[in-house]
Amino acid sequence: MFKSKINVIVLAILVLLGINYASRYLFLRFDLTENNEFTLSKASKDILTNLDDAVEVTAYFSDDLPVDITKVREELENLLNEFSSIAKGKFSYKFIAPNKDAQKEEEATKEGIRPVMINVREKDQSKQQKAFLGAVIKAGDKKETIPIIQPGTAMEYAFATGIKKLVGKNKPLIGFIQGHGEPPIQELAQAYQELSILYNISSAYINTDTVDLSAFKTLILVRPTDSIPPPDLQRLDQFLSKGGNLILAINQVDANIQYGMANPMNTGLKEWLLTKGLEIEDALVRDTRCGQVNVQQQQGFFSFSSPVQFPYLPLIQKFPNHPITKGLEQVMLEFASPLNFKNAAGIQFVPFLYTSEASARENAPLRFDVQRQWTSADFPEKNICVGAVLEGNLVGNQSSKLIVFGDGDFAINGRDQRRQNADNINLLVNSIDYLSDDTGLIDLRTKSVETRPIEELSDSKRSSLKYLNFLLPMGLVVAYGIFRSSQNRRIRMTRMEMRVK
Amino acid sequence: MNNPVWIIAKKELNSFFDSLTAYILLIAFLGFSGFFTWITGSDIFMRKEADLEVFFSVSKWTLFFFIPAITMKMLAEENKSGTIELLLTKAITARQIILGKFLACFLLIGVALLFTVSYYITVSQIGNIDHGATLCGYLGLLLMSAAYIGIGMFASSITNNQIVAFLLALLIGVFFHFIFDMMSYNSGGFVAQLLSGLSVNRHFESLSQGVLDTKDILFFASLTITGLLLSEVFISKRIK
Repeated sequence: MFKSKINVIVLAILVLLGINYASRYLFLRFDLTENNEFTLSKASKDILTNLDDAVEVTAYFSDDLPVDITKVREELENLLNEFSSIAKGKFSYKFIAPNKDAQKEEEATKEGIRPVMINVREKDQSKQQKAFLGAVIKAGDKKETIPIIQPGTAMEYAFATGIKKLVGKNKPLIGFIQGHGEPPIQELAQAYQELSILYNISSAYINTDTVDLSAFKTLILVRPTDSIPPPDLQRLDQFLSKGGNLILAINQVDANIQYGMANPMNTGLKEWLLTKGLEIEDALVRDTRCGQVNVQQQQGFFSFSSPVQFPYLPLIQKFPNHPITKGLEQVMLEFASPLNFKNAAGIQFVPFLYTSEASARENAPLRFDVQRQWTSADFPEKNICVGAVLEGNLVGNQSSKLIVFGDGDFAINGRDQRRQNADNINLLVNSIDYLSDDTGLIDLRTKSVETRPIEELSDSKRSSLKYLNFLLPMGLVVAYGIFRSSQNRRIRMTRMEMRVK
Repeated sequence: MNNPVWIIAKKELNSFFDSLTAYILLIAFLGFSGFFTWITGSDIFMRKEADLEVFFSVSKWTLFFFIPAITMKMLAEENKSGTIELLLTKAITARQIILGKFLACFLLIGVALLFTVSYYITVSQIGNIDHGATLCGYLGLLLMSAAYIGIGMFASSITNNQIVAFLLALLIGVFFHFIFDMMSYNSGGFVAQLLSGLSVNRHFESLSQGVLDTKDILFFASLTITGLLLSEVFISKRIK
């Protein structure tokens, strides 16, 4: 009997092993996260269901790689599998392992995929190995290369936008206005890269009548430094009156951190905006949530630079529920001016960018000192608006949209191609998408694992929460123990008493 | 309920709470988990994130040590004192004994985790916690505990010395807890796949992120069932 039992159990264990092995290929997943972080977004699904021509993905992935990279491959396989089941026959994929075969390796390199070197351990020695981790998307005679595949949502975004780039027809035209000291498009490289997926981008010169502005879906005016002549403003009015959309990112106050000075600028936009009911103040906001600047300090013989909180670089972390700011975590502005809406008939004002709970405005011209010691009395105001949408009959009777930012610099990389915070770029690109796009990729771009910050608590509340959570569960256990033992003693006592009786 | 499984479970649970065992273990578990979740290291206020990830990764380790300590006496004690024969001569099968004792251990872990609900409530008050992901993390802890109880029961079934049972459970556990995982990084191909598929860490991680995957549930269930089946074999063998 015992023998047969052992047989049954060995069999049972083998069956379990088999089931586990099979479950690698046949499994169900349920995404329980609140934002469905691990589920395909609607935008990808839309792109895939609307494919007209066949799209083929060739993934070049080396074999025999360490487990963490094999995991990326698995993830990619799942993603492509899901893609092909959604696209219903219009999407196919294959995997090629280039490391076995010199010819395939050459093919991969020709497609624009460069090998990366990774560390592997072989026969107790760590060595470098060449690995291919890229993919090529092909549709008809066009192709798009993804040189290195990143895990996570970046993967979905890379493939969805790659496909979109290939199959996208009639991309809308957007224009960056030039001719008044604005940075050329090259100085907005990060934004350009994001925007080129969905749009044709060109410079827009509004100082001549020869350019037909109505071809542009959206015009963007970033940080003009010269004054804008009245005929140009009239052309903008005409553009708006025909239903065009406009984005303004303006430095109303010109601040120079070297000299510690900030003076109002006169570009003519202030007066122009007043006709739409919006006032951009000759002032700067200060915020307790802010970026840092490096300050040189001298101490005896030593001079060192240390970061100092600088309230004129407001750090915006709380966003209202608006398509433009959806999914953003943190945007840093550099010297922003407050916006005020004076009621205007037929125009709707929707602010979407605010300073924090403790902030202030300071009228220009002003001087500032990076070393100044701030107190909470310096920040009496809260939620000062620094970015908003105006919608409605801005000019004439045609409805149009105008987005105004009280800061001109937040998305500019500049001549030295300084990297901007990704969400700064997302803010500009999202607002362009909001005005010009209907594909829904706006959601996918910022669909990353969202951080969920906890509230700022006072020190006393924080430590009481700490010790409450640390001690309370243990206290409950002890209390239950005492209760139970006294209960037991009582039962024992009553029994003893009964025996005595 | 007069099901023998339930009667045994109740008896075991009562004996936990009537001796100091349950209290010492609960306080040790809550003390460690609470200390690292709230007071020091990369605690919740340090991370400034409204989730229980710290708690999950700390209790992954505390449970790893905590569970062998409660399972070690389960069968080894009965083996030693010979009460197992007594039990089995009653109309109770070895399977019922093992399931009853498993249930008792599992409920004790459940109670321990229940005491941490205050963490969940606090964090959801001071931030926007992802409820689905957090519940999934708790589920992951429970599943992982079930698997370790299975291993602990097995270790306890083959010996009549509690210390041996404790150490053996830790030894087996250590492989699943991290050694398979580490080995998988240093090998390639099929072996690496197999090893990483056996790693508790991998399966727990994907659950605690908030993805309920049948792969992970099957893995923990299989580990539990295998442990319990093997202990049944050894218990039955003893009375042969």
